[in-house]
Amino acid sequence: MTDYKKQSEDELLEEVTSSEYKYGFTTDIESDTIEKGLSEEVIRTISSKKNEPEWMLEYRLNAYKAWLEMKEPDWANINYKKPDYQDVIYYSAPKQKPVLDSLDDLDPEMKKTFDKLGISIDEQKRLANVAVDIVMDSTSVATSFKETLAKKGIIFCSISEAIQEHPTLVKKYLGTVVPVRDNFFSALNSAVFSDGSFCYIPKGVKCPMELSTYFRINEAGTGQFERTLLIADEGSQVSYLEGCTAPMRAENQLHAAVVELIALDNADIKYSTVQNWYPGDKNGNGGVYNFVTKRGICHSNAKISWTQVETGSAVTWKYPSCILKGDNSIGEFFSVAVTNNKQQADTGTKMIHLGKNTKSTIIAKGISAGFSDGNYRGLVKISKGAENARNFSQCDSLLMGDKCGSHTFPYIEVKNNSSKVEHEATTSKIGEDQIFYCNQRGIGTEEAIALIVNGYCKDVLNQLPMEFAVEAQKLLEISLEGSVG
Amino acid sequence: MLDIKNLKASIDGTQILKGVNLSVKAGEVHAIMGPNGSGKSTLSAIIAGKEDYEVDEGSINFQGEDLLDLAPEERAHKGVFLSFQYPIEIPGISVSNFIKTSLAEKRKALGLDPLSPKDLLENMRQKMELLNIKKGYLSRNMNEGFSGGEKKRNEIFQMAMLEPTLSILDETDSGLDIDALKTVANGVNKLKTNNNATVVITHYQRLLDHIVPDFVHVLYDGKIVKSGNKELAFELEEKGYDWITKQF
Amino acid sequence: MELIEKLKLYAQNKDLSENQKNLFNSFMKQGFPTTKNEEWKYTSLKKIIAFDYCLNLKNSEIDSSLIKNYSLGLKNKIIFSDEKLISFPNVTGLKINGFSSSDCNSDEAFALLNSALSNSGFNISVEKNTVISDPIEILFFNNTKNGFCQYRNKIFVGESSKVKFIERIQDLSNSSNLVNNYTEIFCEKNSSFEYNKIQNNTEHSKLIDCLNVFQKQDSTSEINTLIFGGGFIRNNLNFEQNGSNCESNMNGISLLNREQFADNHTFVDHKKPHCRSNEMYKGIYLDNAKGVFNGKIMVRKDSQKIDAFQSNNNLLLSKYATIDSKPQLEIYADDVKCSHGCTIGQLDEDALFYMRSRGIKEKEAKAVLTYAFASEVIESISIPELRILAQNLLIKKLDVDLDLSL
Repeated sequence: MTDYKKQSEDELLEEVTSSEYKYGFTTDIESDTIEKGLSEEVIRTISSKKNEPEWMLEYRLNAYKAWLEMKEPDWANINYKKPDYQDVIYYSAPKQKPVLDSLDDLDPEMKKTFDKLGISIDEQKRLANVAVDIVMDSTSVATSFKETLAKKGIIFCSISEAIQEHPTLVKKYLGTVVPVRDNFFSALNSAVFSDGSFCYIPKGVKCPMELSTYFRINEAGTGQFERTLLIADEGSQVSYLEGCTAPMRAENQLHAAVVELIALDNADIKYSTVQNWYPGDKNGNGGVYNFVTKRGICHSNAKISWTQVETGSAVTWKYPSCILKGDNSIGEFFSVAVTNNKQQADTGTKMIHLGKNTKSTIIAKGISAGFSDGNYRGLVKISKGAENARNFSQCDSLLMGDKCGSHTFPYIEVKNNSSKVEHEATTSKIGEDQIFYCNQRGIGTEEAIALIVNGYCKDVLNQLPMEFAVEAQKLLEISLEGSVG
Repeated sequence: MLDIKNLKASIDGTQILKGVNLSVKAGEVHAIMGPNGSGKSTLSAIIAGKEDYEVDEGSINFQGEDLLDLAPEERAHKGVFLSFQYPIEIPGISVSNFIKTSLAEKRKALGLDPLSPKDLLENMRQKMELLNIKKGYLSRNMNEGFSGGEKKRNEIFQMAMLEPTLSILDETDSGLDIDALKTVANGVNKLKTNNNATVVITHYQRLLDHIVPDFVHVLYDGKIVKSGNKELAFELEEKGYDWITKQF
Repeated sequence: MELIEKLKLYAQNKDLSENQKNLFNSFMKQGFPTTKNEEWKYTSLKKIIAFDYCLNLKNSEIDSSLIKNYSLGLKNKIIFSDEKLISFPNVTGLKINGFSSSDCNSDEAFALLNSALSNSGFNISVEKNTVISDPIEILFFNNTKNGFCQYRNKIFVGESSKVKFIERIQDLSNSSNLVNNYTEIFCEKNSSFEYNKIQNNTEHSKLIDCLNVFQKQDSTSEINTLIFGGGFIRNNLNFEQNGSNCESNMNGISLLNREQFADNHTFVDHKKPHCRSNEMYKGIYLDNAKGVFNGKIMVRKDSQKIDAFQSNNNLLLSKYATIDSKPQLEIYADDVKCSHGCTIGQLDEDALFYMRSRGIKEKEAKAVLTYAFASEVIESISIPELRILAQNLLIKKLDVDLDLSL
């Protein structure tokens, strides 16, 4: 066979699966950790280390008791080794001043971490006017632009801080969208959540900047149990970005987060996520377990939009949902989920229509490569009183090669006959034929894949805030092509 | 321009081409006919650079260069164009976006600046008129939901935009009705110059009434067994392929 | 007397060949299908076969004015009356003959019955490389009260040729007649074939129609079934793709009212790779009308790169109208694109109100929306005279006075 530069699809996939995980490194910062295992003792320790008021400790203990009675769910279509909950460290905080007024006060080691992550907070984000709340191993490290936001009455801080400074708000809304007993992981989270973001937008206020948070799991064996609570009061508007990365570890790391969004009358919340947890090596070892409960509740005329680009984690179980309680409320879900190597994903969304004239839109695009399996599970539930509900769902799968799989399980439950529910699903494949066709037209293999994948995802990428969209596009290309940076 | 010498090729261990010799000069139109399974599509795939095939022996020389040394996209940049027998659907990419990228890559390889959007659109408009293609077509996804005839016209549209030196038309006429055939043939004829060449692979003589060949070759069992001028095509049509196969 | 008894008597008294006798016996062994038969699950033949038909046909002349009534006015017409071939045209490149016996390749009851006892029909051959520019009309008239007649037809389309047909079966006796029509089409390589069926018969007429299309490589076929009336209609439409790069297109429209019934059964057998099929059937049902749709697509194991599309959309315009729709996909290859969709609904209330608020009366507004629903199929008709006829039949049936020409 003559020797010219050839990139058959098999070889391309080879490259992708053997490319080094870009963010695989650790920060050597002294951490303050407690012993492994979970018990009432541990919870009391966590609560006291954070100086929490009595009501918070009680909330945690009740959650722990509930969790003990619950059983970890078994999901068809996903095979994974169940984590040993006693083999996890539930608290690790880098020894740092808890709150910084500006990023200049950051520990230089930490700052190096952020730079490696390519975040370049102090330049990019400041210029782009983004307030960043970085969660590093269970404690919020810096919250910038607090003052600017405070002028508008916007509260954007860590949840630990909110528990201290804004207890009324926290007490009022915590657990109202995702109750403790909702599921196994929400119970666990409610008991041991370490930190997360808290945001409150007052009546009629339009948040002037994109709010953003970056996550990272650092210490070996540390689960990440962040808790986010975002409240948009009547008539307000906010756009929130969340991006995650994690270092390489031999054992699987647990990420069981809870995100609660409350959109009161006429409010508008846009929640965007770019997720890039460590996916495991090409044999399926290591990698993050991502079990997240994300839910929003819409009051009258309110709107919640979930947009996500997911490329990481070994096992994902995640269903951002909207409860369309108020009349005329709108729920949206835009997602691109990529699985490669031996990743497994069971993701989707739930749209629960309760009020009248509610509307929901779901656009879910899955890309499977390698030996991975991507599942989309969607529930559209139109309850009896949901007059005139409207839903449009589109789930597309793109298969790269013929060793991967994709499955769609749409559940449509309609109990009101004035509703209009539409569902479409398509499957397409990028095979050697498509690549050769592009080659013959002068388009190289990598360019061809980038072209095809971007064309396929553009409906979703268009929903992301500008700066995120660029990063997301890059992330897609990296996770599918194997090119370095 | 194209010099194929003693080309032998196989796929999955089965030998398909058993010593093909073909010489095409600039300005010429060659027709290749032959029964199913004779190796017509294999030949075009190998010239374009499809990796499924193993070249066992022989050479392909294109404008003095060894073509077999080059990757498919490199051959495309040098001016080789294949109109696929079964054009491929590419989801998510519009026709205009695909052609824009294709053209940009070619110009990049040749060290040229990309066309301005205005020039590109004007160019597209002209070629669409030539091929009787409606406006809305540009925003459709590549070959997605296209009828057989539309797919073939899309191939010729790309050929018109890329202006190749060597065009290989693999059964472009199969399944087209007479009107579509005339449009395609008209397009191909208008694109002919003294500096480019066309190899038309066809199963039916009918096409050659409209794209008149300078040479006609019969491919049978992996070899070109007979060559002649356009009269040969008429003979074949009349006598059928048995006439040839009986002789070999 | 029941039909099956009458047929038995008829067969005994007729001078049948050995082959015909065997075929008839095979038919008698099965009898007519019942609803226990999967292919007839939603369609009961009980009343149809219980009726007392007349098997001795009159063979009377047909008034030219009647022909004019039911013809599109095209130049070339083939006309049958009570199983007798009355006239056929002289067209260059076309050979038209009457009935020629044929074997039966099916073990389906009506196919067997037809092969055993039919002795009328047409046999058309289109020469190679021939484009027949004018479409050809085929008219079957029934004059005998409660007559039962059968036709056996064949069309050969030569390599790279193109031809179009329009067929109409019409009862002139205004009685309960039954026609069992069986047609086979053979499309040679690279040929292009179009066959249109207008089914707008009288209130008590009954029709069992079977059309089998056999395609060789690179051929394209399009079959349009336009149903605007009839007592009982069952259409079986089957495509067999025996070569690569075949394309089979089927469009259908059913507009039924009163107690009318139409059952469209289609089947595409993708036996070779790189082929396509497109199916779009629209049904509109008023009063107590009933429709059945069953679309089956089979993709064989090595038939890769198949692109099959099927859609069945239905409009129920009254509380008592019903539709049974069943898509079937049997796919044994793994690199194919097959999609199917089915909708059943009513007219859009908002759109109706909008039109009425602009002064359009309710009946006309409903007609406009109904036409819009059917338009995708009607607009795709390539023969202008036929397209206009379809538009007019639709308007007439909806009992409005509108001009939809644009």
